[in-house]
Amino acid sequence: MAKANAVSVKKDKKITWKEIKRQKALLIISFIVVVYGVIFYYLPLAGWLMAFENYKPAKGIFHSQFVGLAKFKFLFSDVTFLRVIRNTFAMGVINLVTGTVMSILFALLLNEVRQRGVKKVIQTISYLPHFLSWIIVTGILHDALSASGIVNDLLLRGNIVDQAINFFAKPIYFWPIVAFANVWKETGWGAIVYLSAITAIDPCLYEAAAIDGAGRFQKMKYITLPCIKPTIMIILLINIGNVLNAGFEVQYLLGNGLIKSVSETIDIYVLKWGISQNDYSLGTAAGIFKSAVSIALIVIFNTWAKRRGESRLF
Amino acid sequence: MKTKKLHGGDLVFAIVLVIFMTVFVVVTLYPVINTVAKGFNDGIDAVRGGIYLWPRKFSLKNYQTVFGMQNLLTGAKITVLRTVIGTLASLFINALLAFVVSRERFLFKRGLSLFWVITMYVNGGLIPTFVLYKSLHLTNSFYVYVVPGLISAWNMLVMRTYMEGLPASLEESAQLDGAGYMTIFFKITAPLCKPVFATIALFVAVWQWNSWFDAMIYNRLKTEYTTLQYELMKLLASVMQQSGSAESAKNSTNTITPVTIRSAATVVTMLPIVMLYPFLQRYFITGLTIGGVKE
Amino acid sequence: MKKLIALALCLAMVIGCLAACGKSGSKTTTDNSSKGDTKQTATTNDTKTNDTNSDSDKQEVTNFTFFITMPNPEINDDNEIAQMIADKWGVKVKETWLTGQTASEATGTLIAGDEYPDFIDSDEMNMLVDAGALIPLDDYIDKYPEFKETWFTETEWEKFRQPDGHIYWINPFGNTYGESKATTHNDEAFWIQVRVLEWAGYPKIETMDQYFDLLESYAAANPTLDDGTPVIPYTILCEDWRYFCLENAGQFLAGYPNDGSVIVNKETMTIEDYNTSEDTRLYLKKLNEEYKKGMVDPESFTQTYDEYIAKLSSGRVLGMVDQWWDFAYTVNDVFKSQGTENKGYNYVPLGLTTKPGMANRWHTYDDTVNQASGIAITKDCKDPEKAFKFIVDCAMDQELHDLRFWGVEGVDYEVDADGLYYRTQEQRERWADTSYKASHKCDYSYFPQWSGTHRDGKNAMQPTEQPSEFMNGMAQPLIDCFNAYGVTTYPGMIGSIVENNGPWFPMYSYSNNFTTETPGGLAWALMGECKHEWLPKVVMAPDFEQGWNEYMEKYNACKPEDFLGEMQQILDTFK
Repeated sequence: MAKANAVSVKKDKKITWKEIKRQKALLIISFIVVVYGVIFYYLPLAGWLMAFENYKPAKGIFHSQFVGLAKFKFLFSDVTFLRVIRNTFAMGVINLVTGTVMSILFALLLNEVRQRGVKKVIQTISYLPHFLSWIIVTGILHDALSASGIVNDLLLRGNIVDQAINFFAKPIYFWPIVAFANVWKETGWGAIVYLSAITAIDPCLYEAAAIDGAGRFQKMKYITLPCIKPTIMIILLINIGNVLNAGFEVQYLLGNGLIKSVSETIDIYVLKWGISQNDYSLGTAAGIFKSAVSIALIVIFNTWAKRRGESRLF
Repeated sequence: MKTKKLHGGDLVFAIVLVIFMTVFVVVTLYPVINTVAKGFNDGIDAVRGGIYLWPRKFSLKNYQTVFGMQNLLTGAKITVLRTVIGTLASLFINALLAFVVSRERFLFKRGLSLFWVITMYVNGGLIPTFVLYKSLHLTNSFYVYVVPGLISAWNMLVMRTYMEGLPASLEESAQLDGAGYMTIFFKITAPLCKPVFATIALFVAVWQWNSWFDAMIYNRLKTEYTTLQYELMKLLASVMQQSGSAESAKNSTNTITPVTIRSAATVVTMLPIVMLYPFLQRYFITGLTIGGVKE
Repeated sequence: MKKLIALALCLAMVIGCLAACGKSGSKTTTDNSSKGDTKQTATTNDTKTNDTNSDSDKQEVTNFTFFITMPNPEINDDNEIAQMIADKWGVKVKETWLTGQTASEATGTLIAGDEYPDFIDSDEMNMLVDAGALIPLDDYIDKYPEFKETWFTETEWEKFRQPDGHIYWINPFGNTYGESKATTHNDEAFWIQVRVLEWAGYPKIETMDQYFDLLESYAAANPTLDDGTPVIPYTILCEDWRYFCLENAGQFLAGYPNDGSVIVNKETMTIEDYNTSEDTRLYLKKLNEEYKKGMVDPESFTQTYDEYIAKLSSGRVLGMVDQWWDFAYTVNDVFKSQGTENKGYNYVPLGLTTKPGMANRWHTYDDTVNQASGIAITKDCKDPEKAFKFIVDCAMDQELHDLRFWGVEGVDYEVDADGLYYRTQEQRERWADTSYKASHKCDYSYFPQWSGTHRDGKNAMQPTEQPSEFMNGMAQPLIDCFNAYGVTTYPGMIGSIVENNGPWFPMYSYSNNFTTETPGGLAWALMGECKHEWLPKVVMAPDFEQGWNEYMEKYNACKPEDFLGEMQQILDTFK
């Protein structure tokens, strides 16, 4: 498949002996990493067989009872599963948009901080929450949003509401809360890759722009942003493939019975109906579904990026 | 701001910048300070909640408990080893792979990229992976920390993007001088890639540092290969009781580990890896000039 | 590259420093940590110096491993009591607990790897039996007739027999030796602060109506704590699996014991569903009324466990339904350290029923044997003979039992002139210390353990049940309360009737093992999901009847009859 793809994409690249010899080093490396990749990433996919059988650990992957598409039928005939797909997708998209925007914004603005010491300190602080576990972050968030927490305190004092809002009892607040939690924890960490891309920008470009009378905002908009666009595109494409991996822990820790209908994700569903019920096959089936969606999404968006002449994954 | 006069737009911009950064720093720093404060608070007292920026009843007990943990030294040693070895090895191989797929003329450029992109979205699951590692004799050994994570498509793609951004003229002129691909990689590309290497090194190091699941799954009964994070997780698991049920929790040992230990443990794991940052930071805080080799 | 190496060195140094600080911090474990990496073979030599049993016959120590699918703190490899046990009984067990996984996942991985520890106690025993991972224990059990007779009755042993005719595991809990010494009520109840009872002059509270009337009038008279914090008359913990605090009070209010998932009508030998019963309806209706009156904490259904415990510890909460182990250890510790126990913040249980004068069964005096899990020996066990003997020793050897639960005489407890065990304040505090627990205490808690009376006939098997230990920990308002009601223990406050359980009790030990593979198991899982979502909604419903009807509609759609049918089949085997 790899070969066919490569040939069809680039017509001008002819496979000739001369070219192969010239690229010997590249080909040897490719061969080694492909062997490695096949062993460590593709071989375990034999486990996907589990989705088509009634897997029992005692019998193993190759000797369990074959049940065809029964597990997939179970999933897609369950309204709860359809609902968790919706939740996962919604939270995935919201997190993707807010996360990407905030990280880029932060990287761009941090780059504008002129004092080197301040810049270093801010950046170090920004990525600290990445090291806190979700249980700590959600604990603090829960605290802040409780009836006597700081948020309700401010709302009450500012006379914006006349009664404390029970944020975790109303489904409408849940997705924004999760998005905030993600932004809070990961913005600084996510910005690192953009910051490193910014360093590759040729300073001459800024000098030239300054001569043309560009202000700081203009420089940011017309130089920095376009220069890191390839990185943005690559990260965005990768993350688009991950929208269905919207998470597990944060929703699990922040959710409760009242807002179950919006808080449960595919991973939580798998835990409840697959793993906790000793049904590994169901989890595998859900995993295959997620993989299929991911690959479909990146193929679509990769093609789109290609048409627009942007950087792309493959 | 030097002595240069700010014009209107820039002043507004500067104000927005200051406000944004202030809010950002306050909001981001709060959970960290809160964690530190809780780590220094008495365990029983902390149960009442309401600790924000400063410990209410100061205590070093939590840190004593964390540092008094057995296997702490073994765990720390293995964690440092896996972080150093894992990062260096992974950085080198990913860089090499990124170099290969960023060569415009490479025959399988797209194919090889796709091969790795797919690995990001497929997963055989825990059990098949376990069986594979066992048959490769990676279980009950140190290698399980290094070998399976050697290549990561994500890291490779970020490096590839960076390398593609380097001027192509460099490679061409070197090739005219008769340099092979390996010479180009070591002599031209790699030195220019310091910022992205630093970034990826950070990502891999943090990932290695924080990993504990592999230690639990593959080296469950091998104390000599335990990691710092796994030792801490074991301590913390008795706090959380996430997967409990009423019937089993009832029989558990009556006194649970105080929640404050979670905070202390977090600080203990965070501190060393956070100290790594300033070392790498300068590579991408300082603008890198490719000037010397401009056409 | 050079930089990275420098960095690695730096990291190593930091770790070294940190570890060094740790050493000065905790004395008990200092010298041990350095030995951490040397192999366990050295352990036999390490301990020659232990004076307690230096003269007893030295035998070779077998090191066993034990994996338990429960999260618990691990003890050190060179734990002092573990070493004493090893010297005397020739067995040392390395316990590994569940970390960040579910029991099912962990068990599944073990099976896939086909590599087991010597002992195992999993919530998924059937999976292990199917995989052929466990060895049958029948022959071993027969070798120790005294153990066989003492530990379980014939009917109890039969409950452990699997369809293939073998017994594979032994539940280590819930056994009372001799007379029960239970001082606490470990299970569920409506709890109330003693200050509320004291304020009302210690009235007799039998029904839920009386209970809430009392909470209401107390809250009206005392709306805040001394520091001005408003009181919360009643709160409900509803987080994840802990929602039993809301879910199953109906069965108790109807006068039934905690069968968990269903009610067993002993007369007709039929399974009844408490979820749809009139008692449960009345219970939820009452909660709904109280919620509207503002008596129920509005955050009940959204609070986390930590928040709930924080509220209880502040003394703001007057009453709630919960099980003792779920709150009391932590909350009572806070009351003690804050001195608020003298304000009567402690909770006592009440045995409420729907109507006055009914017999209640909130407390069961009889043993509760859970046949769903227990300690098992795997096929990879090096020495099953010796392994099983150690299980027997744990149950049958009083000296070993004392060492596990009381500790070392003269160090962890004292013996007075009458032969009664007691602890000094210092010993009590040290026993509860986390580091001390890791380095010194070793209770091998998933090996057979007794509650009830010591074999000397005087003491209690467990320190927590020793009357002197129990009384010593009690605050004055609590003592006053007990005196006012003429009782001496927590179960006394509840006043449940004393009777023997049916052999099927508790039914939850069966439903816990249901999986979605059977229609009943599927229904059971769906019912749980439905209740999780709807019980809070019913309590909060503006119109109770409408909320209840909607809930019933959703509930019945889960096909509870499938579940009840399968439970009935199990019950029928006891006819």
